[in-house]
Amino acid sequence: MIFTVCKIYNSVYISSKGMRKSTFQSVTDAIIRIAGEGGEGVISCGELLAQAAARTAYHVFTFVTYPAEMRGGYAMIQIRLRDWTIYSLGSKVDCLVVFNQQAFDRSVEDLKQGGTLIYDPEFVDPGEGENFRKVPVPFTEIAKKEAGTNRVKNIVLLGVLGRLYAIDKKILLDLIKRRYRTKGEESYLLNNKALSAGYKAVPKPGDHTFVNLSVKEKQEEHYMLLSGNEAVALGAIAAGCRFIASYPITPATGIFETLTRLMPCVGGAALQMEDEIASLASAIGASFAGEKVLVPTSGPGLQLMAEQISLASMVELPIVLIDVQRGGPSTGLPTKTEQSDMNFAVYGGAGDSPRLVLAPTSVEDSFYQTIRAFNLAERYQIPVIVLLDQSIGYRKATVRMPDVDKIFEVESSIARTKVKIPHADYINLVKRLAPSEKELFDYRRYKLTEDGVSPIASPGTPGGQYCSTGLEHTEYGKPDYSPRNHLAMSKKRQRKMEVISRSFDNNPLEAYGKPDAKIGIIGWGSTEGAIREARHLAEKEGVHVRHLHPHTISPLPVRQVSQFLVRLRQLIVVEENLSGQFAKYIKALFGVEPIRIYKCEGVPITPEEIYRGIMKVSRIVNEEYITNV
Amino acid sequence: MYKRAGFEPVWCKGCGNYAVLTALIKVFEELELNPADIVITSGIGCSGRFSHYLNVYSLHGTHGRAIPAAIGVKAARPKLTVLSVSGDGDATGIGGGHLPHAARRNPDLTSLILDNNTYALTKGQVSPMTPEGTRTKTTPYGSGDDPLDILPMLLVYNTSFVANTSSSNMKELILLLKEAILHRGFSIVRIFSPCVTYPVLSWQTLKEQLSPLPEHYSPTDKMAALQMAYCREPVYTGVLFKQRKPTMEEKIQQEIQMACTLEHADGRKYTPLEIMQSYL
Repeated sequence: MIFTVCKIYNSVYISSKGMRKSTFQSVTDAIIRIAGEGGEGVISCGELLAQAAARTAYHVFTFVTYPAEMRGGYAMIQIRLRDWTIYSLGSKVDCLVVFNQQAFDRSVEDLKQGGTLIYDPEFVDPGEGENFRKVPVPFTEIAKKEAGTNRVKNIVLLGVLGRLYAIDKKILLDLIKRRYRTKGEESYLLNNKALSAGYKAVPKPGDHTFVNLSVKEKQEEHYMLLSGNEAVALGAIAAGCRFIASYPITPATGIFETLTRLMPCVGGAALQMEDEIASLASAIGASFAGEKVLVPTSGPGLQLMAEQISLASMVELPIVLIDVQRGGPSTGLPTKTEQSDMNFAVYGGAGDSPRLVLAPTSVEDSFYQTIRAFNLAERYQIPVIVLLDQSIGYRKATVRMPDVDKIFEVESSIARTKVKIPHADYINLVKRLAPSEKELFDYRRYKLTEDGVSPIASPGTPGGQYCSTGLEHTEYGKPDYSPRNHLAMSKKRQRKMEVISRSFDNNPLEAYGKPDAKIGIIGWGSTEGAIREARHLAEKEGVHVRHLHPHTISPLPVRQVSQFLVRLRQLIVVEENLSGQFAKYIKALFGVEPIRIYKCEGVPITPEEIYRGIMKVSRIVNEEYITNV
Repeated sequence: MYKRAGFEPVWCKGCGNYAVLTALIKVFEELELNPADIVITSGIGCSGRFSHYLNVYSLHGTHGRAIPAAIGVKAARPKLTVLSVSGDGDATGIGGGHLPHAARRNPDLTSLILDNNTYALTKGQVSPMTPEGTRTKTTPYGSGDDPLDILPMLLVYNTSFVANTSSSNMKELILLLKEAILHRGFSIVRIFSPCVTYPVLSWQTLKEQLSPLPEHYSPTDKMAALQMAYCREPVYTGVLFKQRKPTMEEKIQQEIQMACTLEHADGRKYTPLEIMQSYL
């Protein structure tokens, strides 16, 4: 049964890009969960294991549950290894590692029949159950005996897992060294002892229970193991961003923390401002000065930034904003996921203030969409809001490292026609359009042009001095409230949106599933993986669904979405909010009434939930008068 | 050279802002600054228009955010000469929260506060600097709140350069603006700039109340500065306090150096490739 599913996957994915980690021969899909108490090193143990796995031919996907408290409480990391792109966390666990009884009790029901349980017999009594293999390892005792402290029991455990999964010890040592490099030589030696003790604690497994993670050959393609937040940060660095200003806010802080560490490494500036308004205001200042800027935040912060977004729209400066969405409204659910900032991102602002809204679908996509956001911002001199959500931001997955020799800077004038959506083999970085010497002679910063984009002079350019004002202004930047001028300038700013929407025709959206399917699904952002898996589940039952997942929310690629809609009998919109923000948006734009599959519980929607919805819709798809379920 | 062609000031005849504009142009001339290397940010209010009239790179943004915007400019391009211009409402009302943090950060920029004790552009409402008891359009029975004591506030925030002057004293204005621009660090010049249409603060009061700091006053002792700043009779003008401390740009450079010498002996910057490789 499993094999047939895989075959479907295979035939679909081989053709799409960015998903060929290796041509696979075997079918591997293994899930490892490590669970214990917060503060015991559960997460670091799992992350080190995941990092080692990312160096092999497998794709890696991790999911972490932190306890709400700093110490104590249930902490869990789940790692999924697979031959090809992973879209969700998966369901049953192959190998469960537990630190204590509570972790065992909470997790054992997720252990697959015939799976493996690794536990510390000192703290866990696995009972009489015969459904799984039991491997007792007294790793706390080993840590005390071999390293003299139980603080490194997680590293002993890492050694045990290293042995079972045939990971080269050197790789783990190397990763430990990097992770704890600020802790000094002594700590490294201690960890080394613990790791070796772990390797010795269990015999080499004779059967094929465990995936072999020994690196056999040198990889041609390199894979980074990144969280969605880190993917954004690295995408920004790759795109040439050298200024970040922010204010800490869960769950976007990871982007900020990563970049405060990395910005100085590449010669950039990272400022923690006194609030969100000041963050975006200073970013606008830096963009005015000629820098590529990034401002990460979450919903409540985005609200505060609204006035500055309008300003950036008005003075036509490129800025990239990242909103890692969390449950709302107000303070809401800071550590939980939701897709409910779309309305605000698309519409929130005084007056007509055009802005672009992008929505990456996965960790890898976050990396490339961030680069794309910079390109669009620089090219169209417009604020770009990238909507991630907590579930992507916190999840870790393998991201193919782009070929840096194939990153090219392109002039904005060429960029208007030729820029492709960035991917690992080819990345264009768009340069801001600067005025020519002739244009500087009578410089009009807000010159009316066909596509609404006019050259920006950066401070330091003689003759380029101009007045940039949030007041309605003429081509020269002089305040002018005359009816004719306001209309002409509003049109100039709005025109960019139309040009952008038209430009999507050069980069066709991929729709998945059988082309003549009567049921269509549109989703956005992080729900892509769940929708894909749901579609496959439905296909197994003979129900065909066509799936479209636009990366650009505003402006939507209207022509392509229309073409998608025209063949359908029923349209389903999947999203993680209660009010149906995206469904209403689709209705407003295309006049169709979608059936909604939604979830508003702070946790990601699962493939099964979508699958059930699809099956419900499939039962009524041939009925004439039913429009909603 | 420093006046922007085609932009005529919209200020009322007799407005104090004209004098400040003239003084600033004079200072630019004396310092022989290249207009293309100057950035002026401003907020909202009559003072917001200030940036329009100079032939420099002008960023006229939102209410209260002139200083954060200037910080962004300076952090991105440290070599530029950066000024921000605000009114009393812009700097201490809506933008008041930015002052202590700008002072802590100490960017090398000069911030002018054009103080007319009122909200003039919106036609005469109470401002945080309006004296107690004053009748304005939004305090028809007289303002009941204490006015902000901006000078002691700035001193307590540890602002690295604090000066007080008035648009009625051109000579002093030029002198102080020049010193503020040359000062390395965050410098604030509060300039009394009376509004003739909503005269909460009158030229006459200024004439009667203002007096230059004593001849032998040294602006290095903060307690002495506080005493001068609190003084009401007379209200002192001049440089109340200045100190040299690391600027934002120097701190950013230091961070870059620290980050780069961590693994590179020669302190060279990391390439994006090296950054990405550290995540393999």
